[in-house]
Amino acid sequence: MDKRVEKTTDWLDERLGIAKGARSSLNKIFPDHWSFMLGEIALYSFIVLLFTGVFLTLFYVPSSQPIIYHGSYAPLRGQTMSEAYASTLHISFSVRAGLVMRQMHHWAANIFVAAIVVHLCRVFFTGSFRKPREINWIVGSILLILAIVNGFIGYSLPDDLISGTGIRIAFSIVESIPLVGSYLAFFLFGGNYPGNAIIPRFYTIHVLLVPALIVVLLAAHLGIMYHQKHTQYPAPKRTNKNVVGSVLWPTYALEAGGFFFITAAVIAALGGLVQINPIWLYGPYIPYKVSYAVQPDWYMGWLDGALRLMPSWEIVGFGHMIPNVFFPAVLLPGLTFTALSLWPFIEKKITKDDQVHNICDRPRDNPWRTSLGVGILTFYIVLFFASSTDVLANTFNTSLNFVLWTFRILLIALPPVAGYVTYMLTKETATVADAGLRKGPVVITRSEDGEYSTVVTDDDSSGADVNFELIEVPEEREYRQVVEGNETDRELVGVSESSPSGDNGGVSHKKATAQRSGGSGIFRIPRNLPGGGGLFGGRGLKRQQRDAQER
Amino acid sequence: MKAALRGVKSSRAKALGVSVFVSGVVGCAGLFAFGGGVASAQSHYQSSSGKEVKSVTFTQPDRPPIVYQKPSSSLIPQGRTLFIENCSTCHGIDAVGSSRAPNLQGLGAATIDFWVYTGRMPLADPTVQAIQKPRKFNRQQTLAIAAYVSSLAPGGPAIPSVNVAGANISQGESLFSTNCAACHTITGVGDALANNVYAPSLYGVGATQIAEAIRTGPGNMPRFGNGTLSNAQVADVVKYVLYLQKPQDPGGISLGHVGPVTEGFVGILIGLGGLMLFGYWIGGRAQR
Amino acid sequence: MSEIEQTSRSSTYDYSSMTGGRTMETFIGALFGVSLLATVGLGVTFWLGGQPQIEGALLFVALAGIGVGVVAWGKYLTPHGPFVQEREELKSSDVDRDAFYKSLERGTKVLGRRSFLGKMLGVSLGAFGILQLFPFLRSLGPVPGKSLYVTDWKNGSQVTKVDGSPVTVNDLEVGGAMTVFPEGFIGNAVDQVILVRPSNFNLVTRPGRETWGPQGYLAFSKVCTHAGCPVGLYQELTQQLLCPCHQSLFDVLTGATPVFGPAPRPLPQLPLSVDTNGVLRSQSGFNEPIGPGFWERGNG
Repeated sequence: MDKRVEKTTDWLDERLGIAKGARSSLNKIFPDHWSFMLGEIALYSFIVLLFTGVFLTLFYVPSSQPIIYHGSYAPLRGQTMSEAYASTLHISFSVRAGLVMRQMHHWAANIFVAAIVVHLCRVFFTGSFRKPREINWIVGSILLILAIVNGFIGYSLPDDLISGTGIRIAFSIVESIPLVGSYLAFFLFGGNYPGNAIIPRFYTIHVLLVPALIVVLLAAHLGIMYHQKHTQYPAPKRTNKNVVGSVLWPTYALEAGGFFFITAAVIAALGGLVQINPIWLYGPYIPYKVSYAVQPDWYMGWLDGALRLMPSWEIVGFGHMIPNVFFPAVLLPGLTFTALSLWPFIEKKITKDDQVHNICDRPRDNPWRTSLGVGILTFYIVLFFASSTDVLANTFNTSLNFVLWTFRILLIALPPVAGYVTYMLTKETATVADAGLRKGPVVITRSEDGEYSTVVTDDDSSGADVNFELIEVPEEREYRQVVEGNETDRELVGVSESSPSGDNGGVSHKKATAQRSGGSGIFRIPRNLPGGGGLFGGRGLKRQQRDAQER
Repeated sequence: MKAALRGVKSSRAKALGVSVFVSGVVGCAGLFAFGGGVASAQSHYQSSSGKEVKSVTFTQPDRPPIVYQKPSSSLIPQGRTLFIENCSTCHGIDAVGSSRAPNLQGLGAATIDFWVYTGRMPLADPTVQAIQKPRKFNRQQTLAIAAYVSSLAPGGPAIPSVNVAGANISQGESLFSTNCAACHTITGVGDALANNVYAPSLYGVGATQIAEAIRTGPGNMPRFGNGTLSNAQVADVVKYVLYLQKPQDPGGISLGHVGPVTEGFVGILIGLGGLMLFGYWIGGRAQR
Repeated sequence: MSEIEQTSRSSTYDYSSMTGGRTMETFIGALFGVSLLATVGLGVTFWLGGQPQIEGALLFVALAGIGVGVVAWGKYLTPHGPFVQEREELKSSDVDRDAFYKSLERGTKVLGRRSFLGKMLGVSLGAFGILQLFPFLRSLGPVPGKSLYVTDWKNGSQVTKVDGSPVTVNDLEVGGAMTVFPEGFIGNAVDQVILVRPSNFNLVTRPGRETWGPQGYLAFSKVCTHAGCPVGLYQELTQQLLCPCHQSLFDVLTGATPVFGPAPRPLPQLPLSVDTNGVLRSQSGFNEPIGPGFWERGNG
């Protein structure tokens, strides 16, 4: 061992006792699958957001103070505009690498939210939110809300004409909340719209409050994932009580670290080569000016679409009013995010499934959840597309009125249809043996009489793969043998074999070791593994048999 | 444990490690030391005085912002022939209109020039909004038709000739965002309005036709007379619209100036999609 | 490549035996080299003043070179097992749980004996928290009061253009539109009014508004009753105003009643008159609150 490494480790270990935990971390196993990289994309684009964001704060001025612009962009020279807008122009035209940083920041935000949403879908459709991961699902849901909120606020900070109109709508939405709405709006904006407090306040929220919350929750999200160990897809030799994959040091560390650079690279390519939010073409925000075709960034699209599709209803009575925008812009997101974060508990109410699940469901193995998810997702996708009714009408040369009515109908009709079709498809594939598996070649032969016959060979690749060996990380095994071999150590711990405990964080190895040597009866093994039982249980016949063999 | 680590610390691994380290360090230095440090000082872009500073214009005192000119009367006979051949079926021989088409008398040369020279007339289909098509008549033929129709009755603006060089582009932006962006969008790409009406894209429209549209308000477009926009202001707007047809796009591919809709698709499909391809390479599929 | 394949599939763990993958090693080294070159290029670009597209492309190459190289290193030049690790049960042992309950009880028992103190503490903390909220909220902004009900349009306010000049009766051609403000409040968000002129004659949009549209001039609040966007879009032939944000459509001739889209209420109409100098003036302010709805608004 390198003397310097040893010296540093000694120094740290004597003060912090890190060696124990670090050892188990280095030996940690992470399952490999492309769909497990989605959360990583979100994490890495968030890091890019932090880097580029810090750069932007050095030049951005969060102020609504009107000034006369004398910068390098001629078509706006001499105009009165807010300092916030002028400084954003300055970043775009005069700060070295400023435009690339600004565009990278914006693209990273778009990709950040997109990665979160697709990651959420992955977790939902594979049932990875089930016990013991409900807490992490809630943390993730809150992270999604924070990401959307901060995206909207960041989009508003340049104070250009299009984002300014968005702030105007935001005021109306806050104002629409029953009982306290007008007070909330006045407190948030420092008076009646537009006021001059909102840009500095948004800035504080955008660079301090929400990022701090995101960092804390992200740490919790990752910490819980690390502690509980990642889920894995069903496959030969994978069970509910093991993890099969790559070892953290060095394989996974290299792959994950490299993927950060790849994420940053893709964002940099977009940031330098594809123009996003050209605020200099939008002009400064002036309350009486407006542009047509104003859309928010994509992740707010579903709310904008809901605002557009909402019929012109308003509830008036007893001297009070529940305004139109309350329903699509307050009630809908409220219900959406409540139902979203509570979903693990809602599903548990239905399935009564109280078992620990470390094996992902394949979406097709769970027709109910999958079709329900597809239906709900369709609802939001329709809303998302409804936010560009005008652009669609223009592109396809049809009447805006026709497009709007089409979307109103689709919003109600399409989700059940999509859900039903999904249900039938999943049902179909679930009953087909070997669905989704690579098939053996089909041999067609022609007899001498000219009769054709088809023979399906059973030579599918899965059969061969079962013969591979799973390897325990040797250093981990070695360590365990040393600790286990020490009988006095075990007695010292004094844990009886029938009352195990577990802490994979590497804190109480001795107990964990004792428990391992104790053999059977330690883990409560769910009856119907992998994939678990319950209402959502339908599985392919062949796979079930294979799973049974495995067990 | 020692054996394993010796393996990792082979000389070639060390060489790779050094490369990574150097690349990383230089990369970070490039990003932050250069990007931040060399950036020019702030507050270059603002004036300390709160008063509006008169923008510099290059007005040539001898040339007014817009000159309105009637097409030469010598073109009237040619125009009459063209009109009767191409327009009179709907508008009538004396351009008084019919059940199918409006009366053109008294509309002025600018209106006729706009509709014909942008290719909107003759109509392909009288039931829908006239769209910009490849024009049917050349400049002289168009002016001839305008000369003929405007000779039938007085009234309406003549054909404007805009002094774009002398106009103020910044004033133009301000007026454009106040009066035009609500329909044509702030980038001038146009969009669909209600009831099958749409605001056309402003790309590829000449200075004269822009001024004509402002002054005559074709179709559903409001009319901007002298009391709303002065000639100088119209010239400013024309200058800005001409700029919008080929604006500065320092950020790269413009995505059609449509805004967040296309940006969202690019972000999701190319950004996230591309990253997922990399993810597929790294993570692979589950082994069965 | 087969060499690499073999390495990545290798089931052996012994790192020292991993001698394969020469091609891959060269490839990865080249990637790092390319990245290094791009970084140098980036430095030169910055030095020369910078250009966004070159910066983006070089950043991409520099970062992707490192990223792809490092991933490939991990993927092709380290053994992949597949490794397995046991999952320990997350649940603590009964012994641990019991011990935890006992430790917890040690405190709760002692504290529980003084339940009065506990309640008192709760009350004081709660009161402190709630009271601190008031100055905080009140400093953030004023209470709405009547400000959502009034604008600066008064009896006799002069209708003024954005540039500050008064609007005379000849300023708008038939089929024209213009954004106007009361004199002295130019640019004020709540005061913006869209002035349209559908005809030359006095226009009556609804009963009770007989004198509101002199010589064809009609004025409506430009703040949408749906979500507050400026209704700046005048379709002159169909005599409709369209809101650019959510496409609410208002019929001008019937007093800007909503005919399509989500807007629930008409745009409030401003009664106009023409003074002796031919200048447009408002007869009074709006007779209802402008803009989107709010809780206290009731139906007026």
